[in-house]
Amino acid sequence: MYEIMMFEGGVYKFNELKELVEDIGGFILQESVMQTETMLHLAFPEEEERIIRDKIKDLGGKFRKLPLGGSEIIIVAPSLGKHHAVDPICDISEYLRRKGAITNMMGLARGVGKRIAQMTVEEREVLEEFDAAVFVFGNIKECIEEKSGLCESLDVPHIIVGGPQGLALEHYVAGVGRRTDRMRRTHEIDTLERVAAEVEEVIEERRLEIEEDPLAASPLFIKEMIEMVIPQKAGEEFSLIIQIDGLRLNIEEEDVPMIKDVSVGKKKLSEICELEKSRYKGYLLKIKTEAEVGSIY
Amino acid sequence: MEVKVEGGDDFANTTFAKISQATFRDLGVRASIDNIYIYIDPTAHFFVISVKIGRVASPVTVRDMTQREPDRLKITDERYAPNLLSVLWDTYGARIKQVSRLEIEFELDEKERVAMMDLLVYDPKDDLITRILDGIDRILPEGARVRCPIPLPDRVTLLASEDPIGPEWEAKAEEIVRKGSTD
Repeated sequence: MYEIMMFEGGVYKFNELKELVEDIGGFILQESVMQTETMLHLAFPEEEERIIRDKIKDLGGKFRKLPLGGSEIIIVAPSLGKHHAVDPICDISEYLRRKGAITNMMGLARGVGKRIAQMTVEEREVLEEFDAAVFVFGNIKECIEEKSGLCESLDVPHIIVGGPQGLALEHYVAGVGRRTDRMRRTHEIDTLERVAAEVEEVIEERRLEIEEDPLAASPLFIKEMIEMVIPQKAGEEFSLIIQIDGLRLNIEEEDVPMIKDVSVGKKKLSEICELEKSRYKGYLLKIKTEAEVGSIY
Repeated sequence: MEVKVEGGDDFANTTFAKISQATFRDLGVRASIDNIYIYIDPTAHFFVISVKIGRVASPVTVRDMTQREPDRLKITDERYAPNLLSVLWDTYGARIKQVSRLEIEFELDEKERVAMMDLLVYDPKDDLITRILDGIDRILPEGARVRCPIPLPDRVTLLASEDPIGPEWEAKAEEIVRKGSTD
C-alpha cells in the first residue's frame, strides 16, 4: 500500500527528496514550485515512511498525510439552485481537497423535494464512475430519510450529509443543513472534519476490498507509464486523475490507440485495463485484477 | 424583524429562521418587515410562510440623492443613479447629459430646475412585494413548487407543497397563520 503525503518547504535540496522518493519506488503526484516555495504530493510504500520523514526533517520542510490522496470524489446536491448550491457543497468540496481528494460537484436534475425526488439512470452512471459520493441533503429529517432511498441501489461507496441529528442511516453526518454563508466557525470546521473522516472510512473500506484481490498494477505506476508516452501539455492540469482502481484520462480521442499500446512491465495497457469513454469527462481506465490477467513482470 | 418557525424539529426550525433573516437582509427589505411566521409540516410536506409588512421607507426624490450646482447635479447615492437618469431623460429628453459617472449636466430654466429637484426617483413601495416574494421563493424548499396565496390583511402569505393543494389545506393554512402569528 502506498502512503500519500504533502511536502511543503523551500527549494533548497528538494530535488534530493524527489530522488529519494523515486529510489524507494515512490511517485511524485503533483509538483508546484512558486519562487522559493515548493509543494509536492508524494506517494511511497508505507513501510518507507520513516526514511521520508527523516529526509523532510533534514530539509526543514513541513509534511502532512493526505488520507484521501489518490481518490476522486463527487459531491452531489439535489439541485444547483440557490437553495442547495453554493454553500455548503463548496465548503465540503474544498475541505476534501485539502485532504488530498480530487473533487467534482453535481446537481441532480430532479433531486429536489420529498416524494418527487428522483435520480436518472445517466446520473447514476456518472456517480458510479467515482470512488465515493457525498450527498448533501437539506434540513428536514423526513426528506433526508426519503431521499436516502435514491442512494441505496448505487454501486459506489457514499455518505449522506444533512442537518438533523439522530437519523438511523449508514454513513450519515449531521450538522450541515441549508446554509447562506460559509462554514468557518470552529464547530463548523469540526463538522467538516467529521464529513472527511466518514469519507476516509468508506474509501478505506474500498481500498481493503481491492487489497483482497489486488490490481495487476498500481494506478500510480500506470499514470507514470502513460506520462512517459503522452507528456502533460503545457498549462494543463490534472490530465490524468488517479482513482482507487484506475485512472480518469482527460485525453483526446486520437491519443487512445497510443494509450492502449503503453507497456506496463511485460504487458500492454490494453491487456491489463479496460478503457471506456466516461459519461462525465474524458476516458475511464479500470485496472483488472492480478488474478484475472496474471503478473505483469 | 422577528421570525417565528414552528412545526419542524429543532434543527429545521432554527435553520429556517436563520435563512429567513439572511435572505431578507440580502434583499434589503428587512426594515420593511414586521415579522415572519413559518409553519412546516414535513410529514405532509406542506409549508406556510407569512410575512407582515411594516413601515416602508420614504420615496427617494432627486433632492435626496443629488447635490445641485448651477448647471449640473452631483450624484451622492449611486444606488439610484440608473433610476435617476431614466426619470430625467423621460422628463427632459436630450437636455440632460451624463458627463461623468457621478455628474449630470442640464440645460433647464429656473422653474424646471426647481421642479426637477422634487421628481420621484424611486419608491420602495413599488417593488416591495416583488422583493418579498423573491425572498419567500428563496426560503421555501425548492421541491415545494405548488404554490397557493392565502389572502390575509397586511400579510403576504404563501402555502407551498409538492402535492396538489386542496381547499382544506388552504383553510388550515389560514387558521395556522392567524393563530401562530398572534401567539
